[in-house]
Amino acid sequence: MIYRIFVLLAAVFVATELSAADTPTEVTETYRVTGLFQPDRVDDLKLAMKEIPEAVLVSVDYDNAEATFRFEPKQAFGTTNLEQARERLNVKVRGVTSGLFGIKARCTIPRDKLELVEIKIYGLDCKGCSCAVYEAAARIDGVERATASFKDGLLKAWIDSAKTNRAALEDSLKQRRIPLEPAK
Amino acid sequence: MLRMSLSVVLVVLALCAASAAAADRLPKAFFDSHCVTCHDRDTHEGGLDLTTVPFEPAKPENFARWVKVHDRIESGEMPPKDAKRPPTAEVAAAVRSLGQELREAEQQQLDREGRTGVRRLTRAEYENTIRDLFEMPGIAVQGNLPADGSAHGFDKNVDALDISHVNVAKYIEAADHTLDVAIATRPQAPMVQKRRISLCNNGGFVAHVVTNGDGVLLKNKQPDPNFPPAGDYNHIDEGAHHRIGSFANTSTVGLFRHEDESLSPYFIEHVTIYPGLYRVRTSLWSFQWDKGKVLPSRGTEAARLSVVQLTGDGRGGQHPSYVLGYYDAPSMESREHEVTTWLNWNELIGFNTASLAPVANYARKGRSLAFTGPGIAVDWLDIEGPLHEQWPPASHKLLFGDLPLEEFKPADHPNIKAPRRKVVRQLGAGKNRPDPAPGLYTVGSAQPLADADRLLAAFLPKVFRRPVDAETHKSYVARVAERLEAGDCFETAMRWAYRAALCSPDFLYHAEPVGKLDDFALACRMSYFLWNSVPDDRLTSLAAAGSLHIPETLRAEVERMLKDPKSQRFVEDFLGQWLKLRQIAANDADKKLYPEFSLYLQDSMVAETRAFFRELIDKDLSASHLIRSDFAMLNEKLAVHYGIPGVVGSQIRRVPLPPDCPRGPFLTQASILKITANGTTTSPVPRGAFVMARLLGQEPDPPPASVPAIEPDVRGATTIREQLDKHRSDMVCASCHAKIDPPGFALEQFDVIGGQRDRYRTIGEGVGDPAPRGSIDPFIGISFRLGPKVDASSSLADGRTFNDVIEFQKLVAADTARLLRNMAEQFAIYSTGRPLAFSDREPIAAIVATAQKKGSGIRTLIHELVQSELFQTK
Repeated sequence: MIYRIFVLLAAVFVATELSAADTPTEVTETYRVTGLFQPDRVDDLKLAMKEIPEAVLVSVDYDNAEATFRFEPKQAFGTTNLEQARERLNVKVRGVTSGLFGIKARCTIPRDKLELVEIKIYGLDCKGCSCAVYEAAARIDGVERATASFKDGLLKAWIDSAKTNRAALEDSLKQRRIPLEPAK
Repeated sequence: MLRMSLSVVLVVLALCAASAAAADRLPKAFFDSHCVTCHDRDTHEGGLDLTTVPFEPAKPENFARWVKVHDRIESGEMPPKDAKRPPTAEVAAAVRSLGQELREAEQQQLDREGRTGVRRLTRAEYENTIRDLFEMPGIAVQGNLPADGSAHGFDKNVDALDISHVNVAKYIEAADHTLDVAIATRPQAPMVQKRRISLCNNGGFVAHVVTNGDGVLLKNKQPDPNFPPAGDYNHIDEGAHHRIGSFANTSTVGLFRHEDESLSPYFIEHVTIYPGLYRVRTSLWSFQWDKGKVLPSRGTEAARLSVVQLTGDGRGGQHPSYVLGYYDAPSMESREHEVTTWLNWNELIGFNTASLAPVANYARKGRSLAFTGPGIAVDWLDIEGPLHEQWPPASHKLLFGDLPLEEFKPADHPNIKAPRRKVVRQLGAGKNRPDPAPGLYTVGSAQPLADADRLLAAFLPKVFRRPVDAETHKSYVARVAERLEAGDCFETAMRWAYRAALCSPDFLYHAEPVGKLDDFALACRMSYFLWNSVPDDRLTSLAAAGSLHIPETLRAEVERMLKDPKSQRFVEDFLGQWLKLRQIAANDADKKLYPEFSLYLQDSMVAETRAFFRELIDKDLSASHLIRSDFAMLNEKLAVHYGIPGVVGSQIRRVPLPPDCPRGPFLTQASILKITANGTTTSPVPRGAFVMARLLGQEPDPPPASVPAIEPDVRGATTIREQLDKHRSDMVCASCHAKIDPPGFALEQFDVIGGQRDRYRTIGEGVGDPAPRGSIDPFIGISFRLGPKVDASSSLADGRTFNDVIEFQKLVAADTARLLRNMAEQFAIYSTGRPLAFSDREPIAAIVATAQKKGSGIRTLIHELVQSELFQTK
């Protein structure tokens, strides 16, 4: 009897060890980051990530609005499923930044296949205003990347033209009472 | 029963006999010779028939009628001027005889009942008493008590202090609230939190108006480059700005706009959780905004800090509960101000750009980038507290001495009910947080009944303001025993007794023995007179030693009490009623006629009157200052209003006046002039009646019921004098108006907000001439015009004439004795809580005479009153 119990325990131990060896203890993943609408937002993101010890911000690619994170999925987010881990990281990032930053899967469409739409905005004169304009654009399905600059008074959006278009962008801006300069 | 009936019959017979005897002693021969020609059964001029009117002084109406007869003869008003004058000696004898009868009759009644009836504490007295007893200097309780009435000019009067079941219910609530705040419920004091707050907070009103151009964010006294001023376009999406932290930086906030229905500029990030003292510091400056540029301002501006009690869910527009103060904001130079104040649950600090004219760029084209005008900047506000010198606080020690605070674990006390704890929900957007809950702590006692006996022995005499007899003391200890038996813990059982004490007649009523006051009652009368509150330990110990009534001691104590900051309560309470300052906001000035009126001006008016009275007391100045003064107590706002140059800043200070300036005294203070007007027009009648009653001590008779009030002509086509002339053509009206109107005519030189005028303002179309701007702020639009000229001339009842208010002041101020007598009467009514009796006239005259010999000073008068038998007798 004692022998059987010993064998059973040994089997469980070996199985556990094998299972742990299959799960990566630490991963490095690159995700799309929403909220990077102007260059100084990179510093804001770094500051925000200090409040999330579960994941380390490795690098930020502002041009493509992407960031690379390192974390242990199981320990940090209680899951070995990387998609779930990404979503849980998103929840944490949104929580500490009042929704100003978000984490999404990387864009699958190459940049050169996206259409660039530029819209001039009246009265775009501070970071808060740029944020408002960016959010009005970024919420539209099909907007893969956007920037808003109060220095240029300009919204730039890279869109998947199969999903959206300039008119949809302008509608979204108008809904938020954002005054647009007429296109020349 | 038979014996009782017989007694009643005997008393009635005795009274009838006394009245009959007294009637025989009336100066009938005088009446027959000089009065009955007009006042007989046939003519009964003025409704008086001296041949039949009985002398029944026990009946108040009859007594008052004979007093009137006495006064008319004494003043020489009767017999009338056109009748034959009786010899002086004959008049004197008649007055003496009638006066003697009236005094004797009154004395009999006073001997039976005492002069002052049994009266309860007023709301203000109640609150001050609680504050002083428990050393909780700002606890708010009077707002929840029913309003007191008013009789003979004051709410302290016994006739005004009725009590109902509503009062009783509210007293129970007030006692509970007091004990909730007073009792410590944690072993350590709440942690002192210090927070620096911006006026522009996330979610606040100021952030909203700043994004829309009614204010700007500033850095280093320039526009904040990270948050440019709103121009043709406002800042997009306020919520995004909140989340990105646009208002969470350390920028200074510059405001152009006033507090109004849509803007509550409050420091919302501190909402008080723990009542107590808080240190409040702020840094203010002013600037001239010029379409995006920050330039030096036109001078020192004034900002107001207030305390706001959040109500409802704490959101939306709230209103300041009271003003903390007005503070200078110098041009381009940050100035720090500090004040330590008590804050109650859910109170926060409010702000207002007090000295600025109301402007709004909110919906204007170009917003702040098209605006040029003054602004007030707030760098920050620091709030630190609650500040406790000791823990448990003095309020707790008054109730529980040095008994320990111990954790109450229900398992250790299976048959004892845990103490009740009030749950306070923090309203609003406060970022201060409650300390971690320490557990359930309560007062521990190893010998509950012995401790109860000891604690109540110390507590009851303090709250009842005199020694407490053993029986009363025992009854309270018995209450505690009863509650302990019922399963209450020691704290709850004691709370029952304390609450009962705070709701008992011994606490709520002034206990005064009939006749001469004992020293404890004297201490109370003095402290409720000069502090509007309970006697302090020194007064009580002097009373206990039986030495308070000694004249030298009384004099020293009055001096000490008047120097104590608590005497400001006397200043405010007395003036609030004597000069009706409580009614300063009873009406708003018409915005078209008086667009320059503001709350800052109104608060400055009240501050002037209080500071002036304080100055009269402190410097012991003559009563003539009621009417004429060579100085005024002013701040910049009032000085500009009065046209007096050279006064800068919001603080009231003594300002010497040029010769022949009518300003300074109560008579011409803007507060009095506003209170006696209706917000649109002035009338010599109410103003004259006010001056007669309040400053000259001669209450006019009420108008006959059949006479309609004079309707003011708001178009300004007819002056009030022209209307009154018609009114006075009626002989019945003329006799009273000859006395009432002259002071009112003199004050016609002042408008409804106390501004001096040569012509009446009018808003009638096509009436009058365009009005010059004068000292009115350039941001205030003017639509009124100038109508008819003011005529301030008139003649006094004795025939002396005056052309303007200055000549009127010279005539009236010379009669110092009259002014002093009025002050003595007002102080006597206020301090003793009863109207003056006929027999008080001689003591009052004696007080006045002594004060006059010593220079006619107001402080001297207070001393003489306190030393008098009138003051020291019930």
